[in-house]
Amino acid sequence: MLTLTDIERKEYSNIWVVAEVSSGAVQPVTHELIGAARELADARKSEVWTVAMGSDISSDAKSLFAYGADKVIVVDDARLDGIQDEVEAKALVRLINKYKPEVVLCAATVKGRALIPRVAVMANCGLTADCTGLSIDPENGDLLQTRPAFGGNILATIRCSNHRPQMATVRPRVMKAPEPDRGRQGEIISECILDTDADKVKKIIEIFHSSEATLNLSDARIIIAGGRGMKGPEGFELLKKFASRVGGAVGASRAAVDAGWIPYTHQIGQTGQTVQTTLYIACGISGQIQHLVGMQSCDVIVAIDKVPDTPMMQMADIAIVGDLFEIVPEILNELPKL
Amino acid sequence: MKIVVCIKQVPATNDAKIDPETKRIIREGLKAIMNPFDTYALEEGVRLREKLGGEVIALTMGPPKAEAVLREALAAGADRGILLSDRAFGGSDTWATSYALAKAIEKIGDVDLVICGKQAIDGDTAQVGPGISAHLNWMQAASVMAVEQVDESCITVKRMHEEGHDICKMQLPAVLTVVKDINTPRIPSLKGRLAAQKAQIPVWKPEDIGADPDKLGLNGSPTRVVKTQPPDPRQTDTIRIEGTAQECARALVRELRLRSLV
Amino acid sequence: MLHHIQNKIYHVEILPPKQESEKLEKDLELFAQKYTRVMESGYCACITDNAMGNLSFQGTEMIQELELPVIPEQVMIHLNTFHTKENLDEILNDCVNLGIKYLLIISGDGSERLPKLKPSDIGVTGSESVTSVELLQYIRREYAGKFVLGVAFNPYEPPEHEFEKMERKIAAGATFIVTQPLIEKNAVVDRLLEKYPDIPVIVEAWMSKKLYLLSEAVGYTIPEDQDYDPIATLKMLHQTYPQCGVYLALLGFKRQYDLIKDIWV
Repeated sequence: MLTLTDIERKEYSNIWVVAEVSSGAVQPVTHELIGAARELADARKSEVWTVAMGSDISSDAKSLFAYGADKVIVVDDARLDGIQDEVEAKALVRLINKYKPEVVLCAATVKGRALIPRVAVMANCGLTADCTGLSIDPENGDLLQTRPAFGGNILATIRCSNHRPQMATVRPRVMKAPEPDRGRQGEIISECILDTDADKVKKIIEIFHSSEATLNLSDARIIIAGGRGMKGPEGFELLKKFASRVGGAVGASRAAVDAGWIPYTHQIGQTGQTVQTTLYIACGISGQIQHLVGMQSCDVIVAIDKVPDTPMMQMADIAIVGDLFEIVPEILNELPKL
Repeated sequence: MKIVVCIKQVPATNDAKIDPETKRIIREGLKAIMNPFDTYALEEGVRLREKLGGEVIALTMGPPKAEAVLREALAAGADRGILLSDRAFGGSDTWATSYALAKAIEKIGDVDLVICGKQAIDGDTAQVGPGISAHLNWMQAASVMAVEQVDESCITVKRMHEEGHDICKMQLPAVLTVVKDINTPRIPSLKGRLAAQKAQIPVWKPEDIGADPDKLGLNGSPTRVVKTQPPDPRQTDTIRIEGTAQECARALVRELRLRSLV
Repeated sequence: MLHHIQNKIYHVEILPPKQESEKLEKDLELFAQKYTRVMESGYCACITDNAMGNLSFQGTEMIQELELPVIPEQVMIHLNTFHTKENLDEILNDCVNLGIKYLLIISGDGSERLPKLKPSDIGVTGSESVTSVELLQYIRREYAGKFVLGVAFNPYEPPEHEFEKMERKIAAGATFIVTQPLIEKNAVVDRLLEKYPDIPVIVEAWMSKKLYLLSEAVGYTIPEDQDYDPIATLKMLHQTYPQCGVYLALLGFKRQYDLIKDIWV
């Protein structure tokens, strides 16, 4: 495979962020990525560039300087309306070849995860998905990309020494967005879509935005789960309220699903789904092994139960002993208002 | 319609037991199964063939024992299976894997549609489907939750994304990656299983698909895994909170804020 | 079902081969041998439905493929809620055609690969999910008079919850009850017998020495006992529960089978 010499490698500089644009607006995950890119660029004494591609996004693009971007490439074209993997990939590869970035970061969203593997193949470079840690080897500029594999059971560190740019995706809310500095300035570079980029355009027939975000368990960052202790379907109404307040999804143990309190699609465990969230709050779940295998890789586990010594209460990072029907409403009171 | 379904054999993590010390899944001795997402891809391929006629070809790359997932695909309705297996394929990352699969799809010839699962549960990268499409320079649709319409030159699909879904139409040939919402995969019948056991499954090597050896396996992979380590074991010191409901709630919200979780 | 108890007919559990079996032909042959032996003994063969969520072949397709004879009084099929509607009706119609009339209706164990019946599939309103209760209602409604329906009772679950469920199961059409395996006299089962004196109850005997498997099956930890003696336990169950039938789980066909013929006399 075509690999680079040391001299060729040195032609590549700057850290790029591909802005996540949907419904004509730059999404917050972009700010998180710019924050991560800023640290990498400072280590390399280079610049952060953001590429914002979409239809009617020019005004939004300027806001990115505040988060740490030095330059923003704006590609504003009506043909980028909707998710157009093929057009965006071609344009992005053309820009990569023109400006030669050292690193390209992209959001691990549905859109980013479809676009960037296409770009990586076309640009002949390596790509690491869902990184949780990024740093630079000062010796050679290699990006050290850490990612969980095997349902969170191992952490792999990945390098891509002989190819540039080095590409990585990061899930939303994994990196922290920096505080914006509204006075910060930068340079806008306008680029456009060439007709040769747009030889394969999808016809978008309909776009449907769900009013109530139907969060998939596997995509959720926070899960509020209930078990037999929820006592009935009304108990799950309380958990739904809790979940929507923290932007999470509702999960359930098998006992609760078997009792008919909540549909099977919410079941977590050996006979349901496996999840790996940053926060898992188990309400009235005793913690049969079959449930534990489905959620044991979550970062922080909170258990709320009357019974102080269930397996779930023992496994939890934070165990609250008490009546969840009293405690959960109090939590809703204590949480910052959205 | 000629449909290729790409399948991966993966370890069955959902069968795993927990190590009482580290509270992590014990990885040793796990069974090898068909990647769960690929069962949906296969079912969609079989349903399209049942509706439109044609052929479903199950394709996998892996060690010789990966043949088992092809037999499973045959039992579940695929017409034939092809195994890419050779030492030269070993150590492939997603770039090299999608290259090899794309070359095999070219070799099969006249393929209208390639269907992949959204991602494999061992690597979780979701990169091979779009990668195949890039190598072939075909159109692609990721996270497809429904195939709305297919005619001779175009396919219309419903794609799922964070904020809802869209419906889009694109030219064939194309590559789809599918999510679980798309269908309910059938369970193979005993008859199907018995017939699949007798099927001949050809094994293709790099020379059979005209692959450039420099683009295969470790040589062809831009990325290198340089280190693997277990994540820190679950901390076993549980913080216990007791008291009135309000005290408990306050203490929890404080803990969660300290960790930037809410 | 009452005459099964009166005539001392054992219920012998047989597991169909798993989908993933690497020696399918051999497993099929073994299944046929076990089934035939149970028929010849005059016992009732109880065929599981993806037990423990393990993807397995259906009893009905095993009987068809292996061309096994069905003696209506001697075959019971487990049926759980992890099927597509299409598949459920196929199994039920196969049962009707084969002459199988005893069904043990359970919620069952799922797995990632097993589809779960949706409430809308079988015309359920007012419940978010399909349990054995809704499945019973569906079968009684759509296959009226075709089957004798039984349900499971788990004395290891919190009893109030389990008794409340049993009320709904009986109301939905269950006419016999099979307990989870007992290894000693059980106060919750005693209560069950008191509460439903007119409903035939079959207690399950755990015929494997491996009690940890039982823990996995019932979902609660049964203390390990190196000296667990299945045959002695079976005798004890007959003495303790003379009014009940007995279901033999994990019966060893090589040695144990010959030992049981003189126990229940």
